[in-house]
Order: sequence, then structure tokens, then C-alpha cells
Amino acid sequence: MKTRIKEFRARHNLTQEDLARKVGVRRETIVFLEKGKYNPSLQLAHDVAKALKTTIEELFIFGK
Amino acid sequence: MIGNPKWFERRKYGGWGIHPKTWQGWLYIAIILIPFVMFQALPYWDNETRMYVTIGWVAFLLLDTTHIMVALKRDERESKIESMSERNAAWVMVLILAVGILYEAISSALQQTFKVNIFLIIALFGGMIVKTISNIILERRAL
Repeated sequence: MKTRIKEFRARHNLTQEDLARKVGVRRETIVFLEKGKYNPSLQLAHDVAKALKTTIEELFIFGK
Repeated sequence: MIGNPKWFERRKYGGWGIHPKTWQGWLYIAIILIPFVMFQALPYWDNETRMYVTIGWVAFLLLDTTHIMVALKRDERESKIESMSERNAAWVMVLILAVGILYEAISSALQQTFKVNIFLIIALFGGMIVKTISNIILERRAL
């Protein structure tokens, strides 16, 4: 799984810490999410998408 | 309760429980530990007083540690990691308990006296009961 979290985060001028605080997780979780090394729950994916004012489909790219 | 959860973090490496994260956490440990050690070092108290103070101290420590551990927040990734490592640890403990019971049963049977440590059996069955109850509750709950 790839994500565009870093790209959207930069667009909104948010640090990893800012985003982590907004969605209620630790910064490390955002780091792993950005690297595509953590498969989030639907709730967290929704929260991150909402914080970055986008949709889950835009943010997470699932390979076939 | 005295300890603030912000001063501590869960022990991930080398055991269970919590360890200080900030200087306030270390201060908390010093404030809890030093008066107790000083009390025990002084010769003025009889054994009964020492015993009651020790029981009270241990009870307070257990309560406060439990309160801190419950209040410590984990995000979903941390919860997943903790669940998996706790499961792995539980499996190793169950395996060792089962081997221990088997060893005691076989070695005592060979000596014509069947004797197995009751605490090993209670630990194994206790774990089994907790697992069963957890499964019943968790299967009904929206996770």
C-alpha cells in the first residue's frame, strides 16, 4: 500500500506532529503510515483523510 | 492517586509495567521509595508495624501503578503491537507451564507418587478462563 499523506500534509503545511495530534495518534504512527508500513483502521484512514481535507481513495493507493 | 500518567510510559523492552519518561517520574519513584527505605532502616519500629506499613506501601504502589497503566493512552498501532507481543509472551508461558506440568506428572508417576504443583495447574486454567471470557466479551463488542 502506498500513501500520499506526505504530499497532502505538505500542501496543508502540517508537520507529522501536527497531523498526529489532529488524529490522536503518535508521530511514529504517521511516519509508518507515510512509508506505507502500517495498515490503518478504517476509522484512522477516515480521520487522516478528513484532517487533510481529502478522501481515503485520494490518500491511499492500494496495489492489485 | 499521585502518579501522573504523563510522567511514565509502558515498558516495551525487558518486562511488563511502566517506567519513568520524565524527571517527574523519577522524582515520583524517589518520593515513594526513599521514605519507605528510611522507615525500614530505622530501628524504632516493631515487626508488626513494619509488616503493616509494608502491606500498605505495596497496596498503594499496586493501585497507583494500575491507575497509571490504565490511564496511559495508546494509539491503534501501539495497541496492535502490544496485543501481538503479549500474545507471543502468553504462548511461551503456556508452553513452559504445560511442559512443567508434564515433567512433574511423569517424574512423580515414575516414583509411584503422582504429584503436580497446584499453582502450575491454577495458572494454566486461570489463563484458559481469562481467554474464554475475553473471547466471549470481545466477540460481542464492536471493535
